[in-house]
Amino acid sequence: MDINRRLGLVSLALAAVLCLAAIPAFVSSPSNVRNIVLSPTFWPYVLSGLLALTGVILVFTRYTEAGETADGAADSAEPVPGAGLRLAGIAAVMILTVLLLPRLGMVWTSMLAFAASAFLYRTRHPVTALVCAVLVPLGLYAFFAHVAGVAIPQGQFVRLP
Amino acid sequence: MSFIDSVLLGLSLVGNVEAFASLFIGIVIGVIGGAIPGLSATMAVALTLPFTFAMSPINGILLLLGVYKGGIFGGCIPAILIKTPGTPASSATILDGYPMAERGESGRALGMALWASCTADLVSNLSLILFAGWLASFALKFGPPEFFTLILFSLTIIAGVSGNSLLRGALSAILGLLLATVGLDLVYGTNRFTFGDPNLMGGLNFIAVLIGLFAVPEIIAMAAHPTAHLGKARSLGKTWVSFDDYRRSLKTILRGSMIGVFLGSIPGIGAAPAAFLSYSEARRTSKNRANFGKGEIEGVAASEAGNNGVAGATLIPLLALGVPGDVITAIIIGAFMIHGLQPGPMMFVLNVDLIYGLLIGLVVSSVFLLIVGTVAIRGFKYVADIPRRILMPAVLVLCVFGVFAVNNNIFDVAVMFAMGWLGYLMMRAEIPAAPFLIAFILGPLLEDNFRQSMLMSGSDLSILARGPITWFFWAATVLAIVAIVRSTMRPDTQAG
Repeated sequence: MDINRRLGLVSLALAAVLCLAAIPAFVSSPSNVRNIVLSPTFWPYVLSGLLALTGVILVFTRYTEAGETADGAADSAEPVPGAGLRLAGIAAVMILTVLLLPRLGMVWTSMLAFAASAFLYRTRHPVTALVCAVLVPLGLYAFFAHVAGVAIPQGQFVRLP
Repeated sequence: MSFIDSVLLGLSLVGNVEAFASLFIGIVIGVIGGAIPGLSATMAVALTLPFTFAMSPINGILLLLGVYKGGIFGGCIPAILIKTPGTPASSATILDGYPMAERGESGRALGMALWASCTADLVSNLSLILFAGWLASFALKFGPPEFFTLILFSLTIIAGVSGNSLLRGALSAILGLLLATVGLDLVYGTNRFTFGDPNLMGGLNFIAVLIGLFAVPEIIAMAAHPTAHLGKARSLGKTWVSFDDYRRSLKTILRGSMIGVFLGSIPGIGAAPAAFLSYSEARRTSKNRANFGKGEIEGVAASEAGNNGVAGATLIPLLALGVPGDVITAIIIGAFMIHGLQPGPMMFVLNVDLIYGLLIGLVVSSVFLLIVGTVAIRGFKYVADIPRRILMPAVLVLCVFGVFAVNNNIFDVAVMFAMGWLGYLMMRAEIPAAPFLIAFILGPLLEDNFRQSMLMSGSDLSILARGPITWFFWAATVLAIVAIVRSTMRPDTQAG
């Protein structure tokens, strides 16, 4: 199945979910709305309709638009060994960053995130990466906390001046 | 207030070391950001944005404008030296720039790119000064129906930033419009897609969305393919651009600048189409047309004049109408908002000192670009040597600090990462991110003006066609849609 058809089907499914479930459940509309066009649900319904329309057109349009080449598509689809594992790894780094920010503080969490992502990217300069993992978050902390006056989360363990 | 008074007011705001230092530093950051393939001018502006929070509005915006100007030029350096455009706008520069580099004339190509860029930048800035005030005074007559039709028109020309597929660009824009509905309803104050979470009641943070869409996907893509960026830079060679080269290409540069100004002043078109149009016009009219594509210096001049001519002109709709001219000016709107400023016609009444301060700064930026660009061409080797597998983790950390600093809210960091994965999936599905962001910005304005019009008229839809201004925008919208449909249908017909 070509990419346009898949996108079209996903768009149609998303439009159906919005119209049948998400908008009725998660968009509140007061009962005294004078006209449908002023209702808070009007705009989301219009956009869902446009999404469905785009989906239908995508389903019936072949992937032959201007400038596309078979070579380009092949290049982007070329598999790279270990890509899936590394993608899972970077996702884990991001999730852990959000979870650890309030506990470890932004500086320590960022140091760990820097080092972990450099390791995931298989850097050829591990020592430089470790030095940067320490210096970059410290430099950013100095700017945002002391120049911009932002209350950077300090965490529950080690606090910075 | 006379023009001289306005200029003096502007001068009083920017006539200090901090303002010019901000502009200069911005250009340096922009040239470096644009010169690193994969970083791009857009990401450089997005990543610089959080650093402007602590600055005065004029200095912060000048810094970002410097990054914008520097970034557009910087993109030509890797385009010529390693056949990899630093920004999409530099794609046309490869056509003749890289063959020149292969002949050992990199320095000559880069010199011409710099001179053409600075000339086009100056032309573009002067046109901004000439047209923005006039357009803003005209736009003061706009009410909600006029703004609704203007924004609708701006949304249709999102097609220009849709890359290879208009349909996928439209899909991206609709998703952006849908995401913009999250938060409290503008009229009744009821919840829309907030799922009972107070963090979502104010809508999704604009900075988190834009950094998530433009910076984080590159971080994720790097994990998928850590060695995709490796390339080989060529040396500058011994030949340098001469004044005679510049004089011979001046007509092409001026024509390219005007093409850039014209396309840049129309919201949504951007620098890449201007560069290609300028290049094709130069090839069509040149005496050396047979050499185009084989290393013709006039080709480099044409494409660089085209893309830099856009850089000042995109600020015309931004400052005069409050509508972004391209994706970078969409980000710069964020800087205005963070400093409590709303770009648009009223700004020419309420913040005339800021407007003229920016215009003065922009004219000076062309000179700074010449200085920084000359150094950058020789120093590209060092920029190219920064290991991207260390640069990207640094970008990740910078994103976390920058997004958190907007509202001191960890929830925004989570939104940024979520948007990053959405951006990555869109990248894989070849759905352009630029229409998403522009629609996300314009969505609330479109809905707000529509509902205000309905409240004004007692829900009578005819108010949306109440006078010549709305008729003009409706006609322009219909023409744009017809052009979009025709250009989408043509390849299919040919294929069939």
